[in-house]
Amino acid sequence: MTDLLQLLIAGLATGAIYALAAIGFTLLWQTSQTINFAQGEFVMVPAFFALIAMKLGIPYVAALVVAILMSMLLLGAAFRYAVVGPLLNRGVLPLVISTIALGIILKESVKDIYSAEAQVFPTLLPDRNVTLLPGVTISLAQIGVLVVALITIGGLQWFLAGTRTGRQMQATAQNPTVARILGVPVERMILYTFLINAGLAAMASILVSPIYLAKFSNGETLGLIAFVAAIVGGFNQVRGAIAGGLLVGVLDNLAAAYVSTAYRQAIPLILLVLVILFRPQGLLGRKEERAV
Amino acid sequence: MTARLEVRDLSKAFGGVAAVQGVSFDVRDGEILGVIGPNGSGKSTLFNCILGQLLPSAGTVALDGSDVTGLRPSTLNRLGVSRTFQLLQVFPRLTVRENLILAGQEHRGSRLGRLFGARDAGLGPEADRMLEFFRLGALAHEQAGSLSYGQQKLLDAAMAFMSGSRLVLLDEPAGGVNPTMLAGLRDRLAEINRVGATFVVIEHNMEFVMSLCTRLIVLAEGRIIAEGSPAEVRTNAAVIEAYLGH
Repeated sequence: MTDLLQLLIAGLATGAIYALAAIGFTLLWQTSQTINFAQGEFVMVPAFFALIAMKLGIPYVAALVVAILMSMLLLGAAFRYAVVGPLLNRGVLPLVISTIALGIILKESVKDIYSAEAQVFPTLLPDRNVTLLPGVTISLAQIGVLVVALITIGGLQWFLAGTRTGRQMQATAQNPTVARILGVPVERMILYTFLINAGLAAMASILVSPIYLAKFSNGETLGLIAFVAAIVGGFNQVRGAIAGGLLVGVLDNLAAAYVSTAYRQAIPLILLVLVILFRPQGLLGRKEERAV
Repeated sequence: MTARLEVRDLSKAFGGVAAVQGVSFDVRDGEILGVIGPNGSGKSTLFNCILGQLLPSAGTVALDGSDVTGLRPSTLNRLGVSRTFQLLQVFPRLTVRENLILAGQEHRGSRLGRLFGARDAGLGPEADRMLEFFRLGALAHEQAGSLSYGQQKLLDAAMAFMSGSRLVLLDEPAGGVNPTMLAGLRDRLAEINRVGATFVVIEHNMEFVMSLCTRLIVLAEGRIIAEGSPAEVRTNAAVIEAYLGH
């Protein structure tokens, strides 16, 4: 029982990171019908921004802030205007191909410019065990990951549901034509979505890199798992992406402990197949109709 | 009565096809003007030219004496011209009340205000009044997409009247609405007109438009073929011919 509790907490911590990346998929899809296949690389790159900043002598916390800001600038605003903007009216496929290409460029650039070696990345909290309940010990770093990820998700939910700007972003996602007529600055709302996606990816990067180390190839796995999490939860719902991320994280950890570490990576894919077969809109998603 | 809207010699052509040809009319302050005509007569094109969604090929549109020809829909909306759509255009996953607040120009003001200011942007009381007026109070916190078609039509109309619009253009408000709901919608529109609202209605439902509008213009092949009170239009030979054919 105590093992299970430990595994659940560890799984939620990992799942919360997946959720941060998965939310980005749903946000970009809702506002601009963009499926960003470079999302994994968007999670990989910010860690290197932070490492470069620290190499330049910037203190740890300030380096993290620099990484988040650089991500929002390059992976948010520049991505919006240089990649998505010119292709937005050309259908989904050119955008998909472009984001796949962008992912490859980012991965190879990090390998060539920084290093192909995995880099140690400092944790937010010291990596020592604490006893939560008798017999239940868990890493303080994992608790830090879970708390920071949940605060970030909570902050995003507050922003979307509790502010006028958030409501305008929702309106833009639901009906951009009418939102524009009502005077909602639709283009700015779309930009905000891209900035938020980049910010969430940077947070995920900061949280995941101490666990998996910062490596140019991290995006392959992270991108795939986040994509699976978004589909499992419901691609058109932020809360679906959160649920999907947490579920995949927990199942991943339980599978590694109780089934086999060799098959742990298959678990999200099995879940994906089951969801597509029996509930294609995702666990919390809505059925959508589109004119083609 | 002064003219709230003046349309002069408005034309719109798509390639070689003239959808609207030299249409002129006024909408007087406080009246309900109906625009009727067979399918393809140019009603929706006329609406879209007035509302800035299409640029007219020729002619002018003036609001309270100021030229507003070709202004963008969002600019016209800020000037107090709002519209409903033939097909439902509410925000389905926002609540009914949130839809009204959004329609009430809540996005005005500073960026900081939009982020940290009151969530209802000070429009809550007006939204609540509109909810009660359109008999939607019990549904205030339901998602708009969960409402019946008729209820969404009511919401659509209520949104158009938020924040004291100077002129509202209703595009087929009765389309697809059941008879019971339709009577309620007509009563609401008539009552809101009594307290001063001015609006233009495009409608195919003759019973609805004849009982609601104070004046009608009839379009056929992009031109006005008749104008007058419902009783006058009903007996006009050109109108009968346009609807029934030769």
